[in-house]
Amino acid sequence: MILDEAEISSLAAETLERIGHPRSVALILEGSIAEGFGNSRSDIDFLLIADQEADLPTMPTIFFIAGRRVEIRTRSVGQIVDHLHEVNGYVGHTPRRVATLDEHLLNRCQRLLRAHVVYRPDLVEKVRDHLAYDDFAVVMTTWWAEHARQSIRHSIALLALDQVESAAVWARAGLQQAAKSYLARHGETYIEPKWLSLQLDRLVGDPLVERYWQTINAEPGAGEEIEHTRDCIRLVADLGVPGCAEDPQRLVVARVPAVTTWQIDDQVHLVRDRRDVFVLGDAATRVWRRIVWGRPLAALMADAERTGVADPGELIAAYLRYGLIRITWQGAPISPRIPMAAPLGPITPAPATSSPILGVAGAEPPHPRAIALLPLPAPRFAAAAMALMWGNFMIENALEDLQGALDREQWRVAALTTARAVNGGLRALLSAHGVSPLPPDPELLHRLDLLPDGHSHIRLLAERLYATVATTEEDARLLLTLLREYVTNIRKASGGGAFPSSFDSADGWQRTLDIGYDLLRLGAYLDQQLPLDEAQDLLSSGGVQPHARAGAAAQET
Amino acid sequence: MSKPKRILVTGAAGLVGAEVCARLLKAGHRVSGLVHHTRVLVANSGRGVASSTDDRAGTVRLVTGDVTVPRLGLDDDTWTDLANGLDLIVHSAAITDFGHPREVYQAINTTGTAHVLELARERSTPLVHVSTAYVCGERDGMILESQLDVGQRFGNPYEESKLAAEQLVRKAAAESLPTVVIRPSVVVGAARTGAVRDFKNLYVVLKLLSEGRIGSIPGYFDACVDLVPVDHVAALITAVADDIDRASNRTLHAVGSSVRMRDISDVLAEYPSFHVPRYIAPANFDPAMLSDLERAYWHRVMSLYESYFRRQQHFDDTAAAGFRRHKRLPNGPNHLRRIIDYAVRAGYLGAPLPSVAEALSRASQR
Repeated sequence: MILDEAEISSLAAETLERIGHPRSVALILEGSIAEGFGNSRSDIDFLLIADQEADLPTMPTIFFIAGRRVEIRTRSVGQIVDHLHEVNGYVGHTPRRVATLDEHLLNRCQRLLRAHVVYRPDLVEKVRDHLAYDDFAVVMTTWWAEHARQSIRHSIALLALDQVESAAVWARAGLQQAAKSYLARHGETYIEPKWLSLQLDRLVGDPLVERYWQTINAEPGAGEEIEHTRDCIRLVADLGVPGCAEDPQRLVVARVPAVTTWQIDDQVHLVRDRRDVFVLGDAATRVWRRIVWGRPLAALMADAERTGVADPGELIAAYLRYGLIRITWQGAPISPRIPMAAPLGPITPAPATSSPILGVAGAEPPHPRAIALLPLPAPRFAAAAMALMWGNFMIENALEDLQGALDREQWRVAALTTARAVNGGLRALLSAHGVSPLPPDPELLHRLDLLPDGHSHIRLLAERLYATVATTEEDARLLLTLLREYVTNIRKASGGGAFPSSFDSADGWQRTLDIGYDLLRLGAYLDQQLPLDEAQDLLSSGGVQPHARAGAAAQET
Repeated sequence: MSKPKRILVTGAAGLVGAEVCARLLKAGHRVSGLVHHTRVLVANSGRGVASSTDDRAGTVRLVTGDVTVPRLGLDDDTWTDLANGLDLIVHSAAITDFGHPREVYQAINTTGTAHVLELARERSTPLVHVSTAYVCGERDGMILESQLDVGQRFGNPYEESKLAAEQLVRKAAAESLPTVVIRPSVVVGAARTGAVRDFKNLYVVLKLLSEGRIGSIPGYFDACVDLVPVDHVAALITAVADDIDRASNRTLHAVGSSVRMRDISDVLAEYPSFHVPRYIAPANFDPAMLSDLERAYWHRVMSLYESYFRRQQHFDDTAAAGFRRHKRLPNGPNHLRRIIDYAVRAGYLGAPLPSVAEALSRASQR
């Protein structure tokens, strides 16, 4: 150890003096210094063990004594025995089950079992009797081996996806984990990775250690990454971790619960956990549409390559990373993880920042390979998309009515209809930016302040349109010109440029309805009520106008 | 088990019939199977059911016949032999797929039942008649096992023919023939594995929808159909065969779990390569809105199932619960997922179709 007994005693005495503690406690020095590692900057970690059942606070108290940072934690005998019993319950269990053991629990047990005793060795021994160190070493050997196995299987999957750099990263991670398993088999159970090199140094003359350093320190040049990855995989097996042969045929594509695919018009959206919405670019869609649960990964890759999309493996790897698909090892989940560093599970990319967020067919992907996360939760996405569609529909409807009112010189009707068109536009604009629920109509104009860009020109046009009452044919022409300019600006700003002209043709009308039905099924999946009564009516009536004669709508279109 | 019986199963080569034969044989009964053309019996698992033409022990004795003709088309010896030597008849011969002329359903399902009843009447042999839960037609709400003809409208001639058959069975029962009616709902893959031997009916609908052959159908999100695993149907029939005295003169719903149209939409959305149909209010659905190709599929196949997309039927199975030894499936969407997974594994569903751009690109490469 880097500290001698006298130094430890002195630090212990000074530390205990500073804290209030029950009588008759045991004290141990644990962690890297107790293991024989550490250096002049290492913390001094004490654990005070109170001979009682009741729990003690687990937060450490920190002092600075003689230029060193000293941490002291307190635990009761009852707490520690519970920890040791829990780990003891895993002895002899399957690797997959052992790997579920919490790393912090294992760390606490390891530090206790390998600590240097300062006071009350009798009490410390009594506690340690609840978990034999040899049994603990077996648990750690298994625990690390299982993590290594998962990392290597993940690496093999990435190799099959032609993601060589990522495969190499996970192969090296798996190799480090295999080394920790190998060390545990030789009695070296310290968990944190920072002293791995000193742990390995203790296995003097072991040829596998020599090979480990050669492999892990290799700096593969261009084109050598695959072979380097395979070297790592082979060494993992030689370090005593079975079940990691590079056999891509074992890799199978599997479903992730609560990931669903929703096409709105031609645009494919994925919903994860009923919460996150991803929009796919064209290339990403083509690869996604080739995925069939239960098929070998190799078959998916071959199929995806036939789509003509470049580097489909990169897209499949992204689906995997985002938790949109799983890859199994003959049905067994692959759960790669770096203990003490990162939690298990999928990651979430930064949300897309496109503005507006929505177009008439949902979101617009920023590029063909995009798997873009929308900055809206799924229920608000569906509600806003429906409101956007309905806003555009209102414009179309009002324009039609306005033309009729002007033709018959119904000036007051025309003014109200103009306001309806303006409101429809504002609804569409706010919805396109994800505002949902919408403010009431009289407040729409004022709530343009919710948008990142104030849209001053649209605001100006809207104010003028609200205020305009045509009383002559000349006024009517000006009003229509102004309204057309307003609608053009709204559509440009709200992504509604592609909105079908519902009233011009049967095809346009049908496409409007189809988009509504597409949104309806997504809304049903999300247990949503439609945001607007009119939209509900529109879709439940199949687009038939309520006052039209039966069959007339079809004939007229 | 009760003491071994001599049992004739009609429609022995069918999905339900073969599974029933396998189970009755395993239970130690002496089983004869009436078959039309097929000479090999295959259980739902895909494994063969031991069969012979000479009544060998441990095999199903195959008898070739035709339910559509009097005396089942059997020669006198065979007819007499069966009439005198049976303890029970399980009548599962039927045509269940849709799209045939009304006369075909009438001949096989109704007249066929009359001919089987003729055999049963010879020595008052108890009859288990396999009907369908959908004799209820398009009537919505809770359907009771005791209900039969309440003036319902039918969705297709299949349902109508099965009702007529049940009426014949009821008449025979009124004349003292011991009978049991088993009414399965939509028979699908096995409860645990989803495995099914034949992909028919619902599977055809799922195929057309998931491949996007038809993008829109007339239906309600809250309409529902009942799916029952084939093994549960066969198990109930076998249980009834073992307890025929207690079951006599009862009608039992062999039903599973309810699946809403919304569940179909949600579950199809879980498969990346699948399309999800749009549901359109039935009153406003017009096949003219479909593309030419879609319309062809609609008229040839999908229209046959149209009424099931708007029904809201739930089946009471109080009487059946007194006989079945399995639990009724609790979760329809889970079972739907299971049968789709099996169909994907078997290659019936899931093979994604190339997009137009991909197809053109491949064509130009050639």
